[in-house]
Amino acid sequence: MNHPDFAALLPLTIVSATAVFLMIAIAIRRNHKAALTIALIGLAAALGSLALAASVLPRQVTSFFILDSYSFFYMAILLGAAVFVLLFAYDYLNCREEQPEELYLLVLLATAGAMVLVASRNFASFFLGLELLSVALYAVIAYVRTESISIEAGIKYLVLAASSSAVLLFGLALIYSESGSMELSQFTTAMTRTAGHANSFPVLAGVMLVLTGVGFKLAVVPFHLWTPDVYEGAPLPVTAFIATVSKGGMFALLLRWFHVSRGEIAGAPGLVLSILAIASMLTGNLLALRQTNVKRILAYSSIAHMGYLLVALLAGGTFGAPAATYYLTAYIVTILGAFSVMTVLSGSRWEAASLESYRGLFWQKPLLAAAFTTMLLSLAGIPLTAGFLGKFYVLTAGAAASRWVLLFTLIVSSTIGLFYYLRIVVVMYAQPTDPGTKRDAPALPISLPATMALAALTGLVFLLGIYPALFWDTIVAVTRNLG
Amino acid sequence: MLQLLWLVVAIPFASAVLLALCGSSLSRRAVALLGAGSVGLAALASLIISATFLASAPPGNEYVQHLWTWMSSGGFRPEIAFYLDPVSLLMLLVVTFVGFLIHLYSVEYMRDDEGYARFFAYMNLFVASMITLVLANNLLLLYLGWEGVGLCSFLLIGFWYREPQNVRAASKAFIVTRFGDTAFAVGLFLLFTRLDTLDIQEVMHRASARWTPGSGVAIAAAALLLGGAVGKSAQLPLQTWLPDAMAGPTPTSALIHAATMVTAGVYLIARTHVLFALAPSVQFLVAIIGAATMLMAAFSAIAQRDMKRVLAYSTISQIGYMFLALGLGAWSAAMFHLMTHAFFKALLFLAAGVVIHAVHEQDLYRMGGLRSELRLAFWSFVIGGSALAGLPLITAGFFSKDLILWQSWAGPNGNAWFWIVGMTGALLTSLYTFRMILLAFYGRQQLHVKAKNGLAVRVSLIVLCFLSLVGGYVDTPPHFGGVPALSNFLNSVLPPLKEVHVGPITETVTALSASTMFALGLGLAYLIFGPKRSRLPAHNLLEQLWLAGWGFDWFYDKLLVRPFQWLTRKSASDLVDAPINGLAQVTVLGYRALRLTQTGRVRWYAAGLAMGTVATVAIALLVR
Repeated sequence: MNHPDFAALLPLTIVSATAVFLMIAIAIRRNHKAALTIALIGLAAALGSLALAASVLPRQVTSFFILDSYSFFYMAILLGAAVFVLLFAYDYLNCREEQPEELYLLVLLATAGAMVLVASRNFASFFLGLELLSVALYAVIAYVRTESISIEAGIKYLVLAASSSAVLLFGLALIYSESGSMELSQFTTAMTRTAGHANSFPVLAGVMLVLTGVGFKLAVVPFHLWTPDVYEGAPLPVTAFIATVSKGGMFALLLRWFHVSRGEIAGAPGLVLSILAIASMLTGNLLALRQTNVKRILAYSSIAHMGYLLVALLAGGTFGAPAATYYLTAYIVTILGAFSVMTVLSGSRWEAASLESYRGLFWQKPLLAAAFTTMLLSLAGIPLTAGFLGKFYVLTAGAAASRWVLLFTLIVSSTIGLFYYLRIVVVMYAQPTDPGTKRDAPALPISLPATMALAALTGLVFLLGIYPALFWDTIVAVTRNLG
Repeated sequence: MLQLLWLVVAIPFASAVLLALCGSSLSRRAVALLGAGSVGLAALASLIISATFLASAPPGNEYVQHLWTWMSSGGFRPEIAFYLDPVSLLMLLVVTFVGFLIHLYSVEYMRDDEGYARFFAYMNLFVASMITLVLANNLLLLYLGWEGVGLCSFLLIGFWYREPQNVRAASKAFIVTRFGDTAFAVGLFLLFTRLDTLDIQEVMHRASARWTPGSGVAIAAAALLLGGAVGKSAQLPLQTWLPDAMAGPTPTSALIHAATMVTAGVYLIARTHVLFALAPSVQFLVAIIGAATMLMAAFSAIAQRDMKRVLAYSTISQIGYMFLALGLGAWSAAMFHLMTHAFFKALLFLAAGVVIHAVHEQDLYRMGGLRSELRLAFWSFVIGGSALAGLPLITAGFFSKDLILWQSWAGPNGNAWFWIVGMTGALLTSLYTFRMILLAFYGRQQLHVKAKNGLAVRVSLIVLCFLSLVGGYVDTPPHFGGVPALSNFLNSVLPPLKEVHVGPITETVTALSASTMFALGLGLAYLIFGPKRSRLPAHNLLEQLWLAGWGFDWFYDKLLVRPFQWLTRKSASDLVDAPINGLAQVTVLGYRALRLTQTGRVRWYAAGLAMGTVATVAIALLVR
């Protein structure tokens, strides 16, 4: 390790150091606002250091990390998402009885874990990042200790995530036993079809087991069963965190090491991933169809969205990786927006999760309803929003790779998906029921930072939908040399 | 300073967004400032742009501002880019200036309306869309503006949405124009598949290089674009929506349904004139449609009782003149008449708004004698009406109409029939215009005048009066000055006017005949509707027919609406629905089945995880 190595690791170091500093600060004196400020400063500093450290890229730091424009791009997205999550978490926690400070600490740790995932190039750092992320998540999911549903979600996640980690670890061990190497780049080799060389069974089985673990984190079918329960039980900002940072970090790793840019994708992994993608798209959208809880709807919809992302991954070639990255960026922005609307609508003792709590929202809070409509339309993939262009790029990538079965499923399931997104929209614009009967308490006034953050997210959704060139060229550049 | 071009769209659009988002919390003064000020700034910017353009014309007399590419996929690269040439510059000036005057007027006119911010949000959105339409570099962006103005038209016709008939009128306008828009969209698909581009200039180049004149594809493309133009500009057979569109607030009628949006069809044809030149039969059809619409609407205008409906039919009729000019190949004459028409028709509508506000009545037969109390409105009507009817030499309408009439004989497609029809139209125009003025302002006063005008209304009326008088001097025929400045300016884009037929009818004869028609119409109007005549609407069959706009509504109702409703009723439960409903049911079944997997039990979830793992490993084992 020399000087530029430390510089390249600066973003990670800053986030970790902030976590430590915050822990000490909490031990000395509890102060909610101070905790938020420290966390935000840390995240902002990490974001700033990305720009500073960009000059030493690309750089391989020890055998654990690879820091290049790709990892920095994803780190920027994860850090940005974490900032938004914390902004909304402040209002959310401020009106609840819990001691709020540790949540920031845990979110910082989880973010650091996701960043490690993005930058890892080795089994050890991969697993380390994964566990750093998971362990912090167990605690934050069950953070509101007064709610039994929250505790239940935490326990469920703990049991299932631990099992899936075990499977993943076993897969890594299998591959290591066969090759004697811990490099993640072995996945790229295993995924690529090469003439005269077939994957040995232990390696192939190892890849499958690793996919189980990865699939669990991303919540693709058949490893998705935890999603609705955990989404529903976790506090809203934490749900937003799982949907964005946790899944985003894992997908960045998957995209870097499992995507095949040159040549064809190998038989078995390709088949398995295709099955996962098709099952996720259909199951996710079908399950969301008649739900009446908006958090569960978004949980199921996230399963479908991960399926769409797998389509882009499977498309491969020169277009697959940028398409997937664009889609993921759009998805993160949109889902953050959706969850933040839900957060600001929630009262001090209840969350705006049931569909009924949105009835007639437009007539009471037209701006919030408009923002939520934007997010839902973007999730459904309606033109002029980020989601449309994301889907358009994924379709283009799939068509370029002639993956017609996947594309057909994508289109059919998107059509099914339109139904439940529009259903929420329709409820929002319906005539309100008798005011005061449904709600146990009025929603709190929205704070200024939350308003500005929401406005920024809405603006971003449109910007990504109308002016994609602003991001597209960068995304193409960062995904050019993966691996 | 041409780089300011994007601001002309961005400023009204930003203001529309701002007003839509937080208009309800702004004070009326702020709303007015934002609503009218933004269009004022746009007008200022376009003034600077045109000064730059005229002072030092960019190479090729065109300026393209590329903003960004929306998406890029294969050959499909729709750009967000604006194109400025003399034709779009003329439109830009008309839209922003007339638009600004109408916004200024609305500041006062709509003052007591509860939807003040909403009104300005729609109006600003309209201006932004209209400018997008005018400046679009490619047909897709033009289509965006085209649909944008259609949407705003819908929203503004139904502005007072608590009255069911207003909503019906709005829906009617939207649905009828949809016929044309669909044709337009199909035309775009055709152009793109055949020419692999939607860039307007590139389409023109490739079309003239690849297609022979009169070839089938050129005819199809031109006819489809004509379909769009006919719908938007309320020409036969899609003219029925415009008279009902008068349900909207009067400034809306002035801006959208008289001065700008309805002339978009004329602009579209002028913009894509190369395609029409490649399809002579379609171009001839344009002339026929224009002439027929012009006569038909002029007759209807004579029998209308509602002041705004007279003006609506008059608008249809005047756009008929523009279509006639386009069909004749007198492209610049059509643009010239478009400009002068925007001035005097906006003036007439705004003056009508003053009258309607003052007496709360739109029926001409209940008005009368308003001349003394509503002096400004009266003089506005006299000036605007004279320009509409073509009072020789001192009004703008005379010069533009004279050019069209002269071309209807002398132009490449001209013949004696068009000339005669044009003259008849001029006579009818003069007749219905002065009938309206005589009925409203002369005779015995029947109604009490309530309101007085403020400064904003007065300023906008006076400026438009001025423009209606002098706007024609930008292009004068040989023996009345002989400075065809506008035609020369437009010549770099539109082919110059040609004079093919020289014979018994000369320019002078045409001008003199047109003047005679004006006088004849005035005289007839005085004889039939003068102050001394009885003020009762006639009840003969012909007038009833004209009052109903030749019964098109009745006819369409019987021919299209009823059969369609019958068909929808009949087909409500036919076999075709079965697969669709079946699909929905299968989907719901899928939901029910899959929901069973969500038990909420951790052991089941863990089992799912394990089974999934086993399955994937098994696939790996089997497939290798």
